[in-house]
Amino acid sequence: MTQILQVSKLNKRFGGVTVARDIDFALDEGAMHCLIGPNGAGKSSFFRLLLGEHAPDSGTITFRGRDITPLRSFQRIREGISVKFQVPGIFKALSVRQNLQIAFQHHLHGASLTETVRRVLEFTSLTAEAATPAGVLSHGQQQWLEIGMAVGVEPRLLLLDEPTAGMSPDETRKTGEMLHDLNARGITILAVEHDMAFVQQIAHSVTVLHMGAIFAQGSIDQITAHPGVQEIYLGAADE
Amino acid sequence: MSRAEALDALAAPARSRARQWLSRLEGPQTMGRGPAFWVAMAAVVLAAAVYPLFSNDYTVGNAAYFLVWTFMAMGLGVVWGYCGALSFGQTAFFGLAGYAYGVITINIGSAYGLTWLALILSVGLGAAFALLIGYFMFYGRIKGVFIGIVTLSVTLVLETFMAQTAGPQWAIGTARLNGFNGMSGMPPLTVPWFGGDVVLYSGTALYYVLLAMVVIVYLGLRMLLNAPFGNVLVAIRENPERTEMLGYDIRLYQMLAFGLGGALAGLSGALYTAWGQYITPSSMGLTSAALPIVWVAVGGRRDITATLLGSVLVIAGFQALTIYGSQYALVVMGALLVFTVMVTPDGVVATLMQRLGRIFGKAGR
Amino acid sequence: MEFFTAIFSITYQFGDAFAFLVISCAGLAVIFGMMGVINLAHGEFIMCGAYVTAATARAGLALPIAILCGALAAAAIGMVLERTVMRHLYHRPMDSIIATWGISLIATQGVLILLGPTMQGVGTPLGSMALGDRSYSLYRLVLFAAAVGLLGGLYLLFYHTRFGVIARATIQRPAMARALGVDTRRVYGLTFGLGAGLAGLAGGLYAPTMTMVPTMGATFIVESFVTVVVGGADIFLGAAPAAAILAIIKASLTAWYGQLFGQIGLLVAVIVVIRIMPGGLSAVVKRWQR
Repeated sequence: MTQILQVSKLNKRFGGVTVARDIDFALDEGAMHCLIGPNGAGKSSFFRLLLGEHAPDSGTITFRGRDITPLRSFQRIREGISVKFQVPGIFKALSVRQNLQIAFQHHLHGASLTETVRRVLEFTSLTAEAATPAGVLSHGQQQWLEIGMAVGVEPRLLLLDEPTAGMSPDETRKTGEMLHDLNARGITILAVEHDMAFVQQIAHSVTVLHMGAIFAQGSIDQITAHPGVQEIYLGAADE
Repeated sequence: MSRAEALDALAAPARSRARQWLSRLEGPQTMGRGPAFWVAMAAVVLAAAVYPLFSNDYTVGNAAYFLVWTFMAMGLGVVWGYCGALSFGQTAFFGLAGYAYGVITINIGSAYGLTWLALILSVGLGAAFALLIGYFMFYGRIKGVFIGIVTLSVTLVLETFMAQTAGPQWAIGTARLNGFNGMSGMPPLTVPWFGGDVVLYSGTALYYVLLAMVVIVYLGLRMLLNAPFGNVLVAIRENPERTEMLGYDIRLYQMLAFGLGGALAGLSGALYTAWGQYITPSSMGLTSAALPIVWVAVGGRRDITATLLGSVLVIAGFQALTIYGSQYALVVMGALLVFTVMVTPDGVVATLMQRLGRIFGKAGR
Repeated sequence: MEFFTAIFSITYQFGDAFAFLVISCAGLAVIFGMMGVINLAHGEFIMCGAYVTAATARAGLALPIAILCGALAAAAIGMVLERTVMRHLYHRPMDSIIATWGISLIATQGVLILLGPTMQGVGTPLGSMALGDRSYSLYRLVLFAAAVGLLGGLYLLFYHTRFGVIARATIQRPAMARALGVDTRRVYGLTFGLGAGLAGLAGGLYAPTMTMVPTMGATFIVESFVTVVVGGADIFLGAAPAAAILAIIKASLTAWYGQLFGQIGLLVAVIVVIRIMPGGLSAVVKRWQR
């Protein structure tokens, strides 16, 4: 299987805080992978490094065979990376339809744009809310809208930062189904997630980050059985 | 396929493109849609068109003066209201283009419609300067208040610069810059015509030309703002980080919007010089720089129609007050600005339009 | 001897520029650093300080006391405006900036209406001294000393008094400060008053050297903006070194090419600075400290 993403020897420090320490990480094309770790483990910073919001001190990021380390954020997105943030990054004052148009219009035009917007509205069950300002949607609907914005451009890799944060169990289950559906269409998924039940629902494999470094990697059963992992989580729970 | 069909096939994409642009006259970024709105708009334009018949040349010339400023106001509306970058220094581009029109026309004269060439060059200069400043600001990732400070500093320094250009060494070709007193004596816009040029002195003829330009620019901006470009500008205003994460080079869009604002300010500046045949450094000073902010804030910055109507109303009110002395008019402008910010932050005209839209049902957004 | 006078001349010019930048930007920097609001009526507070100083000095008060009166008058007006206008706009920073511009228009034109296009000023005190073939105003040396004293005083105020600690706490974590029982509205009011008062002080200090016109505040605007932008949010880490650097640029350009090029040089400096270090000097200093 080909690797869609390769990260090698990635380092980043902010003043005295190391947020990434020699991270070596690879993701297979078509994988559904979860990134877990206690608070402050460097999960969000890792995402920001992947997205080019922060420049690494050293190391390289290769995406689909191309070194994207020197690229700016918007250029990485155009290479086929898409992202959904933890705090819904939607345009609250604009209508749902407009949100989707803005997300897709730079790949699509005219009839194909209209058609894609219609399809994504259906996929995210937001057809009835198309004209509603995005800010008045329910929390779950806002999350789905953002997933819709992230996938309408048909990315190769979808980064999700806590996709189910604040969702009801029902919404969480539905989100899981959505992600399986997307993965089945060939989109590789990398998610930061806290909810282990959800991780079990979606992930094939898991990486544990701790203090900016990779602590463990493996299947979910391996990770949950790993004594060290329990320790760092319990240790974090003590704080 | 017959020849007519072949031509038709060639023309089809162009036609559908034209249809697409026309459909963008209405859209989520601009208030007003449906026949009721357009009938009202047509009535306003018609009223503006027949008004000179019931007035004298001098009064019409004053009305033309209001129209001169609306381009700068609409440009600021795009930059501030739609793109979210509050520029305090649109007068820098206004003044630069105003001076450029003077310098160019004094050097090349007004024959053969060359004044229009001067107008275009001046607008281009305003746009180029705005793009340059915009490049440094947006590629330097400055935002918020710093954009206001930099633009205001630029216009104030330009004012200082022009104010010290007294003396014969400050001349470009045959055009003397004249320091604090400003330039004068440049030709007005001239249309070449059979049997003698038509000179557009401040009066009815110029009024019609300006009215036509306002309508064209207004409709053009409506289409642009409802086009993908306008969508991205609004997205940047709402959430710049997210917009970049959707794959847009937001710096480029901001710079282009700023350039457009500079071009429109430049258009006002060049037309101002052509209208009154003079321009002074104080057109770039602190007080002058405040006025566009007042018009656009009072009108409503987030809708181009509100910006346009509000600007015309405020400028007309300002002119009416200057009978008592410009200092009184300026105090009222300052008070109006404070009032707007505190009571109707979306703008007086925009708020009224929204209310009316709600009353009449579908005319609103 | 000639070498010495040349050195003195350059130092004098630098000191003059430094004093002007520090004194004119202090009020703006305090309000901006503490509240994130750029006060576009800054120049009008300066004008207010200068007018009151000139009026009270001509009424017979000693100049230092007259300057103090100017600063206090500006501070009082600042606090009134904070209470009536600014307080309602803190959650909308851009709107609050626009409101200060409205206030600026009203103030400039209102003074023009009430007091006419110009007012009699006070003469520059202390005379001058001659060195080599040039003469130097002694009052300019006083201004330099005032600038240094001002920085020292602000440092003491913000780092070694109760008000300073509370103010800094409020600025960094408003919600936390409120939870700890700090009356944050009062802190904002006092900070705005302090900024306005410092602007008034600038006006008072420069009143003896300037023509009293309602638009005199505009003279200070570009310099103070530029210093605050180059300095960034922290007045001590940013504005003071920024003033020093800009003073060198301004003094040398002014000496060789004249006043205007001094100002253009400042503008170019600010554009270059924001291009290469967006957070201003204080962001760089902070990163370097860590």
